[in-house]
Amino acid sequence: MTQIYNDYKDHADFLTVYVREAHPTDEWQMKSNVKEDVCYAQPKTLAQRVAIANDFIKRYNYPIAFGIDDMSNAANNAYAAWPERIYIIDKDGRIAYRGGMGPFDYKPDEARAWLAARYGTVKHDAPAPAPSTPTASLQ
Amino acid sequence: MSSFWKWTIGVFLVLLVVAFVILSKMAGSPRDAYFMVRYALPHMHRGNLKVGDTAPDASLVALDGSSRFHIRERTGARPLVVIFGSYT
Repeated sequence: MTQIYNDYKDHADFLTVYVREAHPTDEWQMKSNVKEDVCYAQPKTLAQRVAIANDFIKRYNYPIAFGIDDMSNAANNAYAAWPERIYIIDKDGRIAYRGGMGPFDYKPDEARAWLAARYGTVKHDAPAPAPSTPTASLQ
Repeated sequence: MSSFWKWTIGVFLVLLVVAFVILSKMAGSPRDAYFMVRYALPHMHRGNLKVGDTAPDASLVALDGSSRFHIRERTGARPLVVIFGSYT
C-alpha cells in the first residue's frame, strides 16, 4: 500500500485505520510474527493499542495518515474491516470501492486499478523495491 | 443405537475430519486451523456495505493517544483510500 500511496498521493487522500490485532501472542500467533519479531498481545486498553501502532510507524517509517480505532471497535464494526480491508470513499461520501475481506481477498492491486482508471497508470522505471518486512497487512 | 443413527453420526464425523483437513491446508497446519476457528472466525464478518452506500463515520484516535477525529472529516475534496489493518 505504501507504493500505491506514493504513486497516487497527488490525486487521492489516504488514511490508515488501525484495528484490533490479527495475530497477537495470546491468540492466533503466526510463525512469521515470531520470525520477524512482531510479538504483541491483544491490547486490552487504548493506550496499549496506541503504543503498538506507534511501534509500527517507527519501525517502517510509515508515511500514510493514521487513525486508531478505540476499544469500542466502532470503525472496525462499521466497515467489517478485521483483519484487513481496503475501501475507497469518493468525493460524494459514498463507497466507491469495497475491497474483499482479508487475508485471502485483501487485494491492494484492485485499489490501484480503481485509482489508475481515474488518474492513469503510474509506471516505474525500475521494479518497485520489495517491502522490508511484510508481516503487517498495512505494508 | 439404530444403524441409521450410527451411519448419520459416522458420516458427520467423517465430514468434520475432512473439513478440518481442508481448513488445516488453508491455514497452514492443524494448529493454525484450530486457532483460526477459535480466534479469527468469530471476528470475521463480510459486512453489509456496498458500492454506492454512504460511507459510515467513526471516531478515531490520533497517534498521540488523545486527539480525536472522524473518518468523514477526511472525505470531500478528493477520494479517500481507507486501509484497515494491524501490525501483527
